[in-house]
Amino acid sequence: MADKKKRRRAVATSDSDSDSESDPLHFKSKLKPDSSILQTLTALKSASASTSRPATLSSLNLPTAFREVSDLPLSSVQSTIESLALSLAHSILSGHGFSFSVPSRASANQLYVPELDRIVLKDKSSSRPFASVSSVRKTTITTRILQLIHQLSLKNIHVTKRDLFYTDVKLFQDQSQSDSILDDVSCILGCTRSSLNVVASEKGVVVGRLIFSDNGDMIDCTKMGMGGKAIPPNIDRVGDMQSDALFILLVEKDAAYMRLAEDRFYNRFPCIIVTAKGQPDVATRLFLRKMKNELKLPVLALVDSDPYGLKILSVYGCGSKNMSYDSANLTTPDIKWLGVRPSDLDKYKIPEQCRLPMTETDIKTGKDLLEEDFVKKNPGWVEELNLMVKSKQKAEIQALSSFGFQYLTEVYLPLKLQQKDWL
Amino acid sequence: MKVSGESPVEANKSKSKTPRKPKDAQLLKQKSPAEFFADNKNIAGFDNPGKCLYTTVRELVENALDSAEAITELPVIEITIEEIGRNKFNSMIGLANHERVDEALYDDFETDKAREKRLAKEARFQETQAKNAALGKKVKAPTAFKPTKSREASYYRVTCKDNGRGMPHDDIPNMFGRVLSGTKYGLKQTRGKFGLGAKMALIWSKMSTGLPIEIFSAMKGHTFSSFCRLDIDIHRNIPHIHVHEKRENHERWHGAEIQIVIEGNWTTYRSKILHYMRQMAVITPYAQFLFKFLSEYPDKNMSVRFARRTDIMPPAPLETKYHPSAVDLLLIKRLIAETSKQNLLQFLQHEFVNVGKSHAERLIGEMGPDFTPKMAVKSLTSQQIVRIHQLFRQAKFDDPSGDCLSPAGEYNLRLGIIKELHPDMVATYSGSAQVFEGHPFIVEAGLSLGGKDVKQGLNVFRFANRIPLLFEQGADVVTRTAVKRINWSNYKINQAQDKIGVFVSIVSTKIPFKGTGKEYIGDDISEIASAVKTAIQQCCIQLKSKIVKRIQAREQQERKRSLNKYIPNATSAIYEILKEMSRSHASKRRRYEGKDAELLKQVSTHVVTEGTLREKLAQHVGQVDYEMALEYATQAGVNEEPREDITIPPLEAEYEYTELFSPIFVFRLVA
Repeated sequence: MADKKKRRRAVATSDSDSDSESDPLHFKSKLKPDSSILQTLTALKSASASTSRPATLSSLNLPTAFREVSDLPLSSVQSTIESLALSLAHSILSGHGFSFSVPSRASANQLYVPELDRIVLKDKSSSRPFASVSSVRKTTITTRILQLIHQLSLKNIHVTKRDLFYTDVKLFQDQSQSDSILDDVSCILGCTRSSLNVVASEKGVVVGRLIFSDNGDMIDCTKMGMGGKAIPPNIDRVGDMQSDALFILLVEKDAAYMRLAEDRFYNRFPCIIVTAKGQPDVATRLFLRKMKNELKLPVLALVDSDPYGLKILSVYGCGSKNMSYDSANLTTPDIKWLGVRPSDLDKYKIPEQCRLPMTETDIKTGKDLLEEDFVKKNPGWVEELNLMVKSKQKAEIQALSSFGFQYLTEVYLPLKLQQKDWL
Repeated sequence: MKVSGESPVEANKSKSKTPRKPKDAQLLKQKSPAEFFADNKNIAGFDNPGKCLYTTVRELVENALDSAEAITELPVIEITIEEIGRNKFNSMIGLANHERVDEALYDDFETDKAREKRLAKEARFQETQAKNAALGKKVKAPTAFKPTKSREASYYRVTCKDNGRGMPHDDIPNMFGRVLSGTKYGLKQTRGKFGLGAKMALIWSKMSTGLPIEIFSAMKGHTFSSFCRLDIDIHRNIPHIHVHEKRENHERWHGAEIQIVIEGNWTTYRSKILHYMRQMAVITPYAQFLFKFLSEYPDKNMSVRFARRTDIMPPAPLETKYHPSAVDLLLIKRLIAETSKQNLLQFLQHEFVNVGKSHAERLIGEMGPDFTPKMAVKSLTSQQIVRIHQLFRQAKFDDPSGDCLSPAGEYNLRLGIIKELHPDMVATYSGSAQVFEGHPFIVEAGLSLGGKDVKQGLNVFRFANRIPLLFEQGADVVTRTAVKRINWSNYKINQAQDKIGVFVSIVSTKIPFKGTGKEYIGDDISEIASAVKTAIQQCCIQLKSKIVKRIQAREQQERKRSLNKYIPNATSAIYEILKEMSRSHASKRRRYEGKDAELLKQVSTHVVTEGTLREKLAQHVGQVDYEMALEYATQAGVNEEPREDITIPPLEAEYEYTELFSPIFVFRLVA
């Protein structure tokens, strides 16, 4: 209720201001000099730096048991595989066939823990025997993947998921099969996917006030041209992060990222700009977490005003269901939703032709999200999502371009920052 | 308005028939019903010559079935379509054959220019053929150049013979020569409804060939048979009788034989007509059909026999009274005019279903102070009738029962499906009666898997009041339900690959057809849509357990093979790891202890090889397979596939019996 009142007041004030001028660009006149905006940002940074270390699963003493994986050194991955192989061989030789005990990654086995603000995996697991028609295929693929990982660990090299798939196309048939078994193998061995030395191809990019070392080479992200630096797929190559930025700006879309990079937004307001071009991959999530932990910077997110924007935000924040076993290493808590929020559509007078009607599936996704715990914990988000579902309108970040291509960087974002308008 | 070149005499005739309102002499014209249907013959399914042939066959067959069922005689129906060449047709109507004199006058005449073009094209084609042949490419069979489509009409004599009730001698002319006259009016589940079918065929024959219809008929117990040759006076809607006489009937035959010559198109509607006959055989397995096609060329002749498989006929549908919620103002007025009851109370009580005496009294009390139970029903004013109608709309009545309906019955539907499709599996379901706008309806469904002459995927067979519907399939409620609302994979049925037959039969006192032809039932009636869905789902549920069993049986057979297939992959992967380990163990980079060390030693000395692992795993698979097969046998051994009940009809069953009908059973007194 209190929130609602607050919002109404905010709308009211912006309305009374707008009476003087009908031009939407009057928002520009409300902008204070950059120095004052910078002051608020500095305050934000110092506030986020002081936040205490997040609790771990073990410290919570929850009644149910959970399964979590950790980064393991290559040698221990190797020895885990070897002892597993030995036990399999013993079992076969004694005439009992063999079977794996695979932790279930189904959604019934997942739990959102509000204290941690992320999804974790419970410890239910299922047996996958070789001598059963329903599981023989998966069991065989699992042994094959184990063998391939073992080879990687012997030679100490990295391969991509695609490489792995091509080593035995005839057995795997389809990359989605080898990919999902790879996640199973991480669970079985109790290590993160990156410690298996299997990486996904580069997807995310970063630009801005950040200097880090990639495999020993120092990278200055202000001098990476317009496209920025591709986020390295294996995070263990990355180190020595330094930055004078005040915040990290997480962008959903490549197009908005390009605009920010070309306008050198990070020079006006010192920041680091990251995008994974849609749903984030493991590398980008690891990188964001590492930045947040090492640099102690606040993270602000700029996503589309539709259910998928919020979903992407939730994957950064609380983890995806598919990789919930590794949520401890992949999630970045406390991401602020800066924009574009459903309430912004009216607040910034986005013209009707730039808004899109939500489809049936959009509305359903929105309603499903309202049931999710990670949305419910933030009353501001619930209110925004309710507004979206009620108005049945969505808008992309690009809708702001209707006021000019640079409206995003010159008016919208500075104003948002000045008003501390994040949730 | 259509102004045709009618002769003034005819105009006068039509004038004399109906009294005219103050007239505008030049524009106001009247049309007889027969004229209206001649102009709009597509309403009754006579769109083009091909469809006309189809609809004629259909109408005759349905009349024949109704006629046989009316006297509870197992129907025996013979349909013959005889092709009549142009020369024969001309001689039939007494027209001399004319040779073409001026060739260029005709549509299929080839001008010089066109011939040049065609020859050039043929030459070019031959050239490429020769080139291809020289290059050793596969030579396409030279496609015959189709002669330009001829618009020449083709004519057919359609004959339909049945063993039904026959027709009273004196009624025959009116039954065929007067549109919108019929025996099937009234509230009852019937195949035909409007008294149009046979008359439309006659109108079409008059439009296309000008030849009259010939009717032989004899009734049970009569010593004579009737012969009648007639056509129809379209402008006056009355029969025009050529011959109408009584003949001797020595062999005590009863039934009707109708012969009509019409323009048609066998080539394009051949499959539709055969589909129709086949589906008719599915829904009426107690009938015997003989379908013959006689061509001018004997090699094109065909004859299909749909044999009888049961002698159990569904009871004849009963005539019922109207449900109060299904009547309109006009209908109330008509009922009042026709009723034999004196006062309002009796009228309500006896002319409608679901209105008892006390209920009728309460209704009259509710109508207002002007109404009393004893008031004469014929004295009601129009305003009072409107009041009754309003109350009928608003008041609550019990739903009409389905007793007056005559569904095909699960038994017959099942037999029909088995007889015509020979499926691997079949399930049937009969729903209870439901109501739409005051008319009861019953939905029955059958589901078959596999079978001969069945396409892969969904094959929908629709029946309304026990006649097959063949056209407008896409929009029909049954098709829509089967395609969109049933999740076939839930029942382990593969919608794309299995041969699925979906049979849905809807019977009602009033089928809510959509469109002008009685071709499909709309998808917008939620009562019917949900009843259809439930019926199909019930069939699916019956089949599911059978399908699951079959899948299990197949799994039993294939288990060992599909497990063994993966052994080399799995063992080689494990062996590779062991080999690497034994190498590092030997080079003392890593130490293992106890039985692990022993195993690695065996690997390095080739005591344990990939072959050993493979062998052991195969042994294990064999063991598991044996155990599971044993378990399956102990479980499945008890409940085998349920056996189908069959009935063997008596070979010579000629009883004299009288039948007493009730909605629930038929009582036969065998003499």
